[in-house]
Amino acid sequence: MHESMLTGILLVFLLVTAVFAVATRYVLHAVLSLSIFGILLSVLFVMYQAPDVAMAEAVVGAGLMTALFVVTISKTTNRDDSA
Amino acid sequence: MIRKSVALVILAILGLLVMGGLAELPLPAERMSESVTSRHILSEGVSDTGAVNLVTAVLFDYRGFDTLGEATVIFAAAAGVVLLFFRHDLPTSRLGLSSLAKRSIMVLAPFVFVTGLYIVMFGHVTPGGGFQGGVVWATLTILLCIVYGTAFEWRFINTRTKTLLESLGAIAFILLGLVGIYRGDFFLSNIAAGFRAGVPGELTSGGAIPLLNLAIGLKVAAGLALIFYNMVKKDVG
Repeated sequence: MHESMLTGILLVFLLVTAVFAVATRYVLHAVLSLSIFGILLSVLFVMYQAPDVAMAEAVVGAGLMTALFVVTISKTTNRDDSA
Repeated sequence: MIRKSVALVILAILGLLVMGGLAELPLPAERMSESVTSRHILSEGVSDTGAVNLVTAVLFDYRGFDTLGEATVIFAAAAGVVLLFFRHDLPTSRLGLSSLAKRSIMVLAPFVFVTGLYIVMFGHVTPGGGFQGGVVWATLTILLCIVYGTAFEWRFINTRTKTLLESLGAIAFILLGLVGIYRGDFFLSNIAAGFRAGVPGELTSGGAIPLLNLAIGLKVAAGLALIFYNMVKKDVG
């Protein structure tokens, strides 16, 4: 009961963060929302008993990709834009 | 407006088609009992490879060649980024963050490093492996790069060392695979090539799997750190 409720909440938040990442106007917001998406997904992977995948998702999705994306954004946007 | 609504309709139709296709798929539990491969791996995997973590056993023993392919993809990506961004000029940023951040990252850094080492070396016993631990190491260099500025990173482990480490990892992986052929078995064969299976659950178990994990870990860490460093170092502004 509790576990299924937690799964449901996580799935809903996954959907929210994914839609927000697509719909938002600011690229930086999309990247941060994608990183939250990665963390939630790795928690979900742990609950589905796939700790290897969860570890990879947490480290790559939430850690490395965020850093790479933020660097890319700071290289490609103008300084005046508050993007 | 019309284009948007047409796109929405097409998207809805595609979504329904995907849903229908997914509904037809058999559940993993049903397929598990049918598939010969998964039954064999579940029952014989530990005695075949000596690795308790069957995911790693599949990644580095049964499907070791595929892992070599994945490693090659990262190698190609790193090579491409280095080719795109290559420049001889030295790092630009010496500033970094406040001294409080510098102090705390130095307290944290050894623990992060040891965590990465643990994930790499115990990949065949507990969840984890070369890829995950390697990315943890790469994240450590990224943290140092952010907190101390790129000049520190340059002095600490320069690009030449990283390139050397990445190539070393790749060469070690292929050499370990060639041992199998030398012993008269397949490329990347593990126990059959004379690597000791050991006691399952110990660090020295799993034959060549810990060594392969270490090679992959070095390779992934150096490759991803190279990608990040090459993207960061040239400050356009």
